[in-house]
Amino acid sequence: MCNANDTQPRLKRRPVGRSVEHLEQLMDLEHGRMSRDVFWDRDIYEQELERIFARCWLFVAHESQIPKAGDYVSTYMGEDNVLIVRQKDGSVRGFLNTCPHRGNKVCFADLGNARQFVCNYHGWAFGIDGALKGMHASSAYEESGLDKSAHGLHPVAQIDSYRGLIFATLDPQAPSLAEYLGDFRYYLDAIFDMDEGGTEFIGGCVKSVIQCNWKFASENFVGDILHAGWTHDSGAKAMVGGPVAEVHKFPEQSYHVNFNGHGWEFNQDIVGNAATLGDKEIMKYLYVLQPKVAERLGELRSKMIGAISSCTLFPNSSFLPGQNTFRTWHPRGPGAIELHTWTFVNRNAPQAVKDAWRKGTMMTFSPSGVFEMDDGENWEYSTRTNSGFVTRQQDLYLGLGHETRLTDTGLPGNVYRGQINEANQRAFYQRWFDLMEAPSWGCVPQRDVATMEVKA
Amino acid sequence: MAEPIFLIKKSDLDAGCVRRVECGGQALAVYNLGGCFYATQDGCTHATASLSEGEIIDDDCIACPVHDGTFHIPSGQAMSFPCEHALRTFKVIEQGDEVLVDLEQEADEAADAI
Repeated sequence: MCNANDTQPRLKRRPVGRSVEHLEQLMDLEHGRMSRDVFWDRDIYEQELERIFARCWLFVAHESQIPKAGDYVSTYMGEDNVLIVRQKDGSVRGFLNTCPHRGNKVCFADLGNARQFVCNYHGWAFGIDGALKGMHASSAYEESGLDKSAHGLHPVAQIDSYRGLIFATLDPQAPSLAEYLGDFRYYLDAIFDMDEGGTEFIGGCVKSVIQCNWKFASENFVGDILHAGWTHDSGAKAMVGGPVAEVHKFPEQSYHVNFNGHGWEFNQDIVGNAATLGDKEIMKYLYVLQPKVAERLGELRSKMIGAISSCTLFPNSSFLPGQNTFRTWHPRGPGAIELHTWTFVNRNAPQAVKDAWRKGTMMTFSPSGVFEMDDGENWEYSTRTNSGFVTRQQDLYLGLGHETRLTDTGLPGNVYRGQINEANQRAFYQRWFDLMEAPSWGCVPQRDVATMEVKA
Repeated sequence: MAEPIFLIKKSDLDAGCVRRVECGGQALAVYNLGGCFYATQDGCTHATASLSEGEIIDDDCIACPVHDGTFHIPSGQAMSFPCEHALRTFKVIEQGDEVLVDLEQEADEAADAI
């Protein structure tokens, strides 16, 4: 369904702003050091909106949310509000949710089915294909010679999907989604293609605000299982009657893997994450499914389906296998995020199992969930302490797991021994730095070379 | 009463569908509602729009493709914002597989409504 807008973009951008100076002094990843400024500075944040969020492929919807023509969701790409709309030919398109006349929002619902989007202000009306179809007092515009074809909703630059996950980018120069995900698709299949029916989102979107920098959330899911044994110990005891598994004692059975800044930490215990939901039906479902996944995707990936693990797709969407929460950390200034979460399940799973998962994500990873509350508190204070002028002159440490790189596993991407590691976090910030320094996509260093096919 | 003019073959318009037909120098929207045929002016009375590009909803109403205002197809009456003025309707005569129109007479349902 790849849909690139080959027409000249109408969006006129200011010439790329001057980069924040001396960004290279904020990172010394080789020695596991980084500055706190990246979590606090407003100029850095503004540059992120331009060079990260207006440039990267961002998750915008799951195919299952918009099955029929006219179905739409309203979501964000950075702070840009966009509408993602199923077309009559089955393709998906995306538009900025703003009227090109006087700028008002044209759709106020989070999701629904529409025959058109009509602006409340002056009645400009747009088809689900974004085309301007007419307006209130249309004869007055006709007398003024308005060219309706030149004033449709602003389209996103490119939109495409992988295994049911729809992504879009606002940068016409961005590489294809296949290139952007690269070899990370190998791991994504373990969750989004473990069953032939694929996945779906169930229930609604749960939203909350956390007063933290967006990168604390992303870097936590990209590779930080370390915190679980400490932060979530009491939550785990409440949910499963015991502490979090001591994963640091078994590094030979677990990994950090990353590609293009996307990262996944995982072990091979099949159901470790799922167990925290405290539901036996989910455990039984995964145990029965695992041998079938082994046939489909091989032994290693079959053991990832509900294992102790977490993943971030660069820059700001994350998910947890087993706990089945998918989420996007929308930035709201350097010190806040708007968190949108959904429950995903295998489409072919029994209804009772789907219901158990929806209940389970509420109990663990919702605003009142036993684990999410713990995380939010930590990230808020990791952000807020940096209001101190002297405090934010102090470096942070990110050096866990040096010398753990593995080159003989046969697995794609960059592979590291042991999930208690900060290799993925360093790769995440390396990607962040590369994008922040590059004036255009063509200048972004291609550090990771894909071995999987990237042609559409 | 004027001489009925040929509009469309019944078999060319499926139930639940609407099509624009040029007839006697004007644009008509011709509808098939469950096997009964109707004709109204094609232009919306609110703003510039071709109703035949809209969608038939609630069994017998046409939703304008521009602002989603609705008209009752058999009577032409405006049903919802922003439409306020009724559509001109035309009397339709079915003859075998053919649908004819009398451009000088309103539909029976419209005459009843007045």
